[in-house]
Amino acid sequence: MAEKELDCLGEACPVPLIKAQNALGTMAIGDVLIVHIDHSCAMKNVPDWAREAGHNVELEEIDDGEWDIIIEKAK
Amino acid sequence: MEEKEKKQSLWEFYFKREWSYTTGAVLLSILAVSLVLVTGQAWGVTGVFHVWGGKVLSWFGINADAFPGFNGAVGKYIFANSQVSLTNLGIVLGALLSVLLAASFKYKKIKSRKQVVAAILGGLLMGIGARIAGGCNIGNFFSGIPAFSLAGWIFMVFIFLGAFIGSKMLKKWFM
Repeated sequence: MAEKELDCLGEACPVPLIKAQNALGTMAIGDVLIVHIDHSCAMKNVPDWAREAGHNVELEEIDDGEWDIIIEKAK
Repeated sequence: MEEKEKKQSLWEFYFKREWSYTTGAVLLSILAVSLVLVTGQAWGVTGVFHVWGGKVLSWFGINADAFPGFNGAVGKYIFANSQVSLTNLGIVLGALLSVLLAASFKYKKIKSRKQVVAAILGGLLMGIGARIAGGCNIGNFFSGIPAFSLAGWIFMVFIFLGAFIGSKMLKKWFM
């Protein structure tokens, strides 16, 4: 099970979403992608997309205005 | 990964969790209609940008009122009497209030030179576009379409076209 981190701190929409989609596309089922974000809009559109695509998603608040989106590739 | 089901506090429910699009749309409509009822003028954002630009030029000794189309707008300008200026200040203060209430305030670092170029280029293009179109997505689109403005509909077609081309440019050069 590989784990990959994606630093999207300081990036605005839609950059975190496109980067997450590209990164997950290169990964295998069961791999985990951790996206670091500090843009509240990405806190909604990245998990929305990942859940819609059928992956397991968890959102964690790391600090004030900073979140980790943890996506486990399910298919 | 297991789903944790926690009970939300009132603070989390109202301020922390993002509001749905429906909640936002209803609140925006109520506020926009109230603004028209109270002041008689629809909500706009970019309508004062040329005056602000003229003000900045005046600090360097350039009289923008001499340009065609200004009609003394810079000389007559008073911040407290300008509805658009006041609502623009309100947008910034409201955004600040919402992040403070959500405890999400954060200084963001500038990631790269590319990001700076993209931001400046994007801002300039939007500003120039809004002035040429006679309004931005607020004055032209949000306030225009409910008032049966044909310009609003034409604006809508081209804003989609612009957003499409803009996203392609973003993907190609700025990611």
